[in-house]
Amino acid sequence: MVGFNGAGKSTVVRTLAGRQDPVAGDVRVHGLPVMPDAVMFRRQVATVFDEDVFFPSLTVREHLLLVARGHSVGAPEEAVDAELDYFGIADRAHAVPDALSSGQRRRLLLAAGFIRPSSLLFLDEPEQRLDPVMRDALSRRIRERADAGTTVVVVTHDPRLLVRTATSCLVIDETVTTVGTERGAQIIAGA
Amino acid sequence: MYSNALAAVCVMMMVGSLVVALREEITARNIGDSTLVAEQSQVVPAGILCMVVAYLALVGVVVLARKLGPVTVGQAEAAWWLPLPIDRRPMVLPSFLTRLVAVGSISSITYVPFSVLTTFDRSPSAHGIAAVTFGGGGVVAVTGAAVLQLAPATTGRRAGIFLALLPIAALPFITSTVLPLVLVASLAAALLAYLVPRVGDVHGTELQRGGAVSGHAAASIFFVDLNELRRSLMVAPSAHVSFRGSRYYGRHTRGPLAALVRADVVAFLRVQPPPTAALVWLGLSVGVTVMTPTLPVVLQLTVILIAGCLVTAGTGTVARQTAVTAELDTLLPISPALVRCSRTLMPALAMATWTGALTGALVVLGAGTPVFVLLGVLAGAGMGAGATRAATRPPTDWTTPPVETPFGPVPRNQMSSLLRGTDMTVLAMTPLLLALYLGTVHPWLIIAQLIASTTAITVQASNPGPR
Repeated sequence: MVGFNGAGKSTVVRTLAGRQDPVAGDVRVHGLPVMPDAVMFRRQVATVFDEDVFFPSLTVREHLLLVARGHSVGAPEEAVDAELDYFGIADRAHAVPDALSSGQRRRLLLAAGFIRPSSLLFLDEPEQRLDPVMRDALSRRIRERADAGTTVVVVTHDPRLLVRTATSCLVIDETVTTVGTERGAQIIAGA
Repeated sequence: MYSNALAAVCVMMMVGSLVVALREEITARNIGDSTLVAEQSQVVPAGILCMVVAYLALVGVVVLARKLGPVTVGQAEAAWWLPLPIDRRPMVLPSFLTRLVAVGSISSITYVPFSVLTTFDRSPSAHGIAAVTFGGGGVVAVTGAAVLQLAPATTGRRAGIFLALLPIAALPFITSTVLPLVLVASLAAALLAYLVPRVGDVHGTELQRGGAVSGHAAASIFFVDLNELRRSLMVAPSAHVSFRGSRYYGRHTRGPLAALVRADVVAFLRVQPPPTAALVWLGLSVGVTVMTPTLPVVLQLTVILIAGCLVTAGTGTVARQTAVTAELDTLLPISPALVRCSRTLMPALAMATWTGALTGALVVLGAGTPVFVLLGVLAGAGMGAGATRAATRPPTDWTTPPVETPFGPVPRNQMSSLLRGTDMTVLAMTPLLLALYLGTVHPWLIIAQLIASTTAITVQASNPGPR
């Protein structure tokens, strides 16, 4: 999902995720009304938005362990170690979120989004605050998750991420149109 | 202006009526008649007890003043003026002197009812001299707090200030001459003579810290938000991070609820400060029933009620942190009601322990049978729900016209915001307080306590509160 600042991309994904009410009409996910309080909805829909969603007093490892255990991930300790390695924060595993840099907190948010199973994953500008190497790793990870059957909806301003991960591109402007990923990348670049 | 004057007159009349009524009540009553515990043990003579209370009040002034500054600058002043190489004294001195006058006046006025209630045989002029002497003590306390701002406050410097307050606390009780007043005034003048030329030397970061804390506290008072006021007065977060419960957290769990409960338990253990305040309130609640036989039982119960509400408010930190980040509640596939129950668990356990200890101590002192402890534990569980409920107070609604009160215009939902959480805490404590008043635990009271605590927990679990 691409578009200029203020076009409404984040509003759309937040509405789809049940974080805010629709301005008009109704929203359905998997054919059912959006019910963010329903256990089934929480089990199936994962989000990584811009807010830091952490227990301030739990360490990085403990936070990921909570998400893994909460979503009944098999062998949660091993899964946590794998995510810590993948997102490059293994050396900060025993730090609390306040002690992390902005980019490290972003990596933790992404790790928490990817460690749990979900059928629908919303990522709102996941490339923000990440260095180029991690952006490449992220695009691979998104691709893997999509190949495994999860529907991944990504809002992005990064043409490279779009081209490397997306199968279709929704442009939100004054109108909503579907274009190819190459054209989407050109729109992001202002061409 | 009219509203302020009306409010001041109302407050003075209410306080005056209360003081006179209490004095008559205390004068008329026999010691040991209808008190909370069967055998009163006056372990400390009344005069010494009053001096201890006065001393603790002055220590409280020092501690509070040190947290609020007392020498401060606001955020805008800090941004504009602190970087400039100018003398800071004209910037900080007027506000500091204003605070001194305010503290002196408030201390004097506050001391008047205390003096009237504790010393019956004084003339009005003697009460006045004692009050002004205590007000001078308040000025010394604040000036001492400002002296501590000049350099890193070592334990020795703090101890020096606290020791100096010991004789000052005793001075208001010597009323045969004006000598105590002269002594306090001389000490205050000497401290000010030392401080005023140096007040511009207080470090910029210290000035900003005091300004931030006092600004936060003032805003909390303006919004009548006691929870926020408490947070503002908590010492600035230290660099020390607690890792309590790491081993417990690492153990295997099964299911999302167990995982969440474990996270809430560990988070609670880590954010809770040492239980000093809870123990002080526990000691005060027990002490007021044992050492003040002349105090009416209703007042003794009021002290217990206030102590219970304050200790309860201190257990809702995790709930507040998670309420601020609402998405935390949606992290796991658990119903919102169960999430709220998980948040309530530790505050309920902590308060059950506190009320259990309180009722246990009262039972040992002769307040009643051991069933009181059961009642206390049940009450504590409901009080914990009150702590969690208070974490989701509605924000002030400025979109509707405020309600006019004698104290000025107040936003429409301010009172409901203030009462949120406290309502359930008081509800949960009511059967316990009633049992203490009656001196016996009737079976109906146990049922009432069960209903009250269950209601508090159910209301908290079922009502998410505004975000």
